[in-house]
Formats: sequence, C-alpha cells, structure tokens
Amino acid sequence: MTEEKENKEKYEPLKELVLARIDIMPPNFKLSIGDKGTFNKEELIEHVKKLDPTGIQVIKMQLNFIKALTSGKLTQALVTA
Amino acid sequence: MNRILLVTRPKYDDGTEYLAYYASLIIKDADSRSIENKDFEGKDAKIENVKKFIKKKDPKLIFINGHGDTDCLLGDNHEVLFSVSSNLDLLKERIVYARACNAGLIFGKKVTENSNGCFIGYQLPFSFIMNEKWSAIPANDKTAALFIEPSNEVMHSLIKGDSAALANEKSKKAMIKNMQRIMKMEEKKEPGAMGLLMTLWNNYDGQVLHGNQNITF
Repeated sequence: MTEEKENKEKYEPLKELVLARIDIMPPNFKLSIGDKGTFNKEELIEHVKKLDPTGIQVIKMQLNFIKALTSGKLTQALVTA
Repeated sequence: MNRILLVTRPKYDDGTEYLAYYASLIIKDADSRSIENKDFEGKDAKIENVKKFIKKKDPKLIFINGHGDTDCLLGDNHEVLFSVSSNLDLLKERIVYARACNAGLIFGKKVTENSNGCFIGYQLPFSFIMNEKWSAIPANDKTAALFIEPSNEVMHSLIKGDSAALANEKSKKAMIKNMQRIMKMEEKKEPGAMGLLMTLWNNYDGQVLHGNQNITF
C-alpha cells in the first residue's frame, strides 16, 4: 500500500471532526506550522480536505490535543503548575 | 568554552520574521547584562559564518531560530546549518536551544550523546497563531506573544544563570500560565480560544530537554 493511500485510510475518518474545529477559527488568525508555512482558515480547510502533508500535520496536532483533553493530561498540567 | 551567546535568526517568511523579532529581545537582554553575543541575522545565518565563529570564539550558549526537522536545523533560506551527518560535533558540550520544528526527536538526542552539553527543543512542530492584522509588526501581535514569549523564557532563564532544567521548567510554566489565560477567554466565549489552546498545548507537549540538565551558562 502506498503512503498516500495509508494516510487516506488512517485520517479520512477524522477529517470532518478537524474541519469542524477549523471552521470556528476567526478569519484574522493564521496558523504558522514550521516550514510547512503560515495558513489562514480557508487554506487550512483546503489542506485538510486534500489530506496533503500540511493537512495531515494539522490533523495530528488536533489529535494530540484531543488525547490530552480526554486523558486528563491537559487538566493535570493546568492544575499542578 | 567561553561565556558567549551565538544567535541565528534567518528572516525569509512569516514564521521566521516573528521568531527573529523575539530573538532580538534575547539579544537585548544579553546586552543589558553585558554578555558577549554574536547575532547572525537574516542572510548572515549561513553555516560558513556560524562555523567560523564557533571555531574562533568557542561560545557556550547557542540559540537557533528558524526551521528544522527531526535530523537537522536550518539557517537562511533553508540552508542546513547542522544535521546528524554534518557539523554535529560543533555543538557538542554546549547549551543549545533550538526554536525550530521536530529537532528534539532525533537531532537533539544525537547532539547530546557522549557529551556534557544539553539540547532544548521540540519533538513536534513549533507552531503559533498570528493575528493577520499585525503580521507586519510582530511586536504588536498579542496573539503570537502567547506562544513565543514562553519560549523566550528558556533563553532569559539561561542567560540569568539558571540550569537547563530550570530554564525548561520556567518556560513550561509560562506556557501553562498562558493556557490558563486562554481558558478564561474560552469561558468568555472569545472566538478561536480552543484553537489557541490546541496550538500552545502542542508546543508544551513537544518541548524537550536532552542531555545534561544541570549545565549552566
């Protein structure tokens, strides 16, 4: 299986969730993701829809955050600081 | 090794412009403490310049800003400054803070192998949100400050003489403080707060310290 196909199978089910989260981003915000570049809301939506490397990076960031939320890792960090 | 700070801060896209501005604040801090420093700004952030300076002046503290990957750190216009296969030895025994993506994953471990030095960096992409209204003037962008000011804390702390472990801890505490501020924004239903929190969490979760935790500048 090609990497592209593998990524599609792995991340396709998460696309809608991530797109919904991006949709609430204010239009004046731009996300800078290292050497991938700096993206406004519309550009992020396009990348996630295409599941290209930038889109997958955004999905991975969202997933890491959701895991921290659901595992209690984020809450623990916030209350113990 | 000498109590000298070396900074690289290329400026060739939005991301590096912001990092370069915030790195300039560290240079000001060093100047105010009469700490000798060398600033490789913009197009000067080239390996030939950096290599020559390290060999001649033997600086103990190295602050790299810009892009990176799991196995390398980059200078001006994506030129490789250091990688696991080139110039790695130049960083051995030193205190290295790399405000760049992913280098904490492989590069940071390699640079501290068989060395008394340390590496602070990120094993995830270093990300931040900027407000487009202020993108031409990073100093006025309070949104970006939520992300980049806590990372500056690593350097302020090291310059003050704190250990690498304490510098890392102070930076992480500053991130938590900002996450708490963002949570208050979320309670007030300010738009975009969860996106800010997600992005800052990834920096917090990705910031790592490898090597000698007790080393000081």
